[in-house]
Amino acid sequence: MNESPYAVEVVDVHKCFGPIQALRGVTLRVRRGEIYGLLGPNGAGKSTLIRLLAGLYRPDAGSVTVLGRPMPNKEVLAQLGYMTQATALYSELTVWQNVSFFAGLMGCRDERSIAAAIEFVSLTERAHSRVNTLSGGMRQRVSLAIAVAHRPALILLDEPTVGVDPQLRAQFWEHFRTITGQGVTLIVSSHVMDEAERCDRLGFLRNGQLIAEGTAESLRQAAGTTNLEEAFLRLAERQEEVHAL
Amino acid sequence: MSITRSLILARRVILQMLADRRTLALIVVVPMILLSFLGVLIRADPAERVVGVVNQDNGVSLGGTTVNLGERLIAVLQGFEEFSTRPMNPAEARRELDAGDADAVITLGPDFTQQVLQTRTLTLAVEFEGSNPMIAEQLRKMLERVALQAANVSLALLAAPASGEAGELRAVLDASYLHSGPEYDTLDYMAPALVSFFVFLFVFLLTCLAFLRERLAGTLERLQATPIRSYEIIIGYMLGFLVFGIVQGAVTLLFTIYVLDIHYAGNLLNIVAVELLLVVLSVNLGIFLSTFAQNEFQVLQFIPLVVVSQGLLGGVVWQVEDMPAALQPFSRLMPLTYATRALRDVMIKGEGLSNVAGSLLVLLAFAVLVIALSSRVTARAQGS
Repeated sequence: MNESPYAVEVVDVHKCFGPIQALRGVTLRVRRGEIYGLLGPNGAGKSTLIRLLAGLYRPDAGSVTVLGRPMPNKEVLAQLGYMTQATALYSELTVWQNVSFFAGLMGCRDERSIAAAIEFVSLTERAHSRVNTLSGGMRQRVSLAIAVAHRPALILLDEPTVGVDPQLRAQFWEHFRTITGQGVTLIVSSHVMDEAERCDRLGFLRNGQLIAEGTAESLRQAAGTTNLEEAFLRLAERQEEVHAL
Repeated sequence: MSITRSLILARRVILQMLADRRTLALIVVVPMILLSFLGVLIRADPAERVVGVVNQDNGVSLGGTTVNLGERLIAVLQGFEEFSTRPMNPAEARRELDAGDADAVITLGPDFTQQVLQTRTLTLAVEFEGSNPMIAEQLRKMLERVALQAANVSLALLAAPASGEAGELRAVLDASYLHSGPEYDTLDYMAPALVSFFVFLFVFLLTCLAFLRERLAGTLERLQATPIRSYEIIIGYMLGFLVFGIVQGAVTLLFTIYVLDIHYAGNLLNIVAVELLLVVLSVNLGIFLSTFAQNEFQVLQFIPLVVVSQGLLGGVVWQVEDMPAALQPFSRLMPLTYATRALRDVMIKGEGLSNVAGSLLVLLAFAVLVIALSSRVTARAQGS
């Protein structure tokens, strides 16, 4: 495998769905071991970008390279952890059955890894409960357990902590830090600004374009505010002004 | 109670229905389609039954004239309009019977008239084709009447020249069956079709719903983000549902054989083999059609379209050969037609798999077609 320093390289990617231009020339690179946050309002293209990385879509133009391999590529997927909406679970199966099913497809049949993933999301006591008896937040955690159980090299999290209480959220981030320390790369899409603060680097996505990139601190400075949310709004305005010219 | 609130709700229900054009079309169009099928089927004249006659009767010389009762009998047979009478030679009769082109063959030996005279009994030796016990039963009743009429004609003919003694002439039908037998009834004929129909119905609906849920819940997307390939998903579904299809098929079969006490001639393993093929087909048809449904309600709409139409035209109740020519092409487009035919041949005629290879091949072709279609469906997310 190509030992590029980047876990993810997206170069000038375009993606349309009928008349809707979801991504319009996005370029971004994420280093191995980095936590990269994708921020932006609904419909900005966050999910589309994550799905391209997960090999679910083929770009219309441009290239997507994940762990040194051009996407979509089935082999790379075993090293990927992808967390989608909480509903994407088999509700008549138990937590354990769900996690071990997906881990099995990823080539991980080790019971300890499954137990560890369930432990990580604090669901050990409910491991043998059916998913349809769990609350929304608990299902979200099962979804996260599935994303990490097979110890992937790259984890893609689409809004991972919606409906998760602050204490557990803090615990998740502690764990994310530990695994990135071991070289695992994390890409998180979010619109929770508190979460954004914890990322190594952030990308602001708006109307299918990456309008700004950098650490939370540098983005705030560039926008001249003390608040990320405001920074986003100001940078968006500035971009519009540029376009108007 | 407020009627206004109920009216507001009624308005919402109507708006929802109006938004779903397909359901609307279905409510109106499908009953008309099914009713016209049914109307044509019920009013249709069944295909003409064919009775072959092998007449080797030499006749008997009575008072200077030759009396040939065999020829008289043919005349009686030709008086019946319910079936067509065709004189045949023995080899031809064998061939037509084996091919299922003749429904019954009457054989009159060289000494037929002689025998009638000596035994005072008109014995009609009939071999029924028998693969449809209903037809065999129908014909048997008619041929009993034929034998009776023939006996009366013969009596008149024989009485005059002979010493005036009138006496009586008994009529006997000596029936034999190529397939099945007199103990077979309508249920025996229906059972193979019903077994295949139920297997198809449940496996198709379950797969369709399961796959729809996979898609709607988003687990299909999660599956596609794993190294599993679309054909592996299809194979997995097939293997999983095969277990239930076989269990269901086996239970239905054993129930019909041992509890409903139907007769069957075939090898149980051959029956299972035909069923396997049908399950593979049903699973894939379910996966493929699930993509045309946005919700469980729309899956239910497949029941009249896919299931009832096959029930009507797939030879479950009405034999395909008996349908009007205009409907037969539809029947040939329905996979259930071939499953029913194969299962019937195996269960009633006791045919081996090689003898039903034609039906099985068509069934296999259908299966391959829907597998190809359903793997396109599962692969679509990757391609786009």
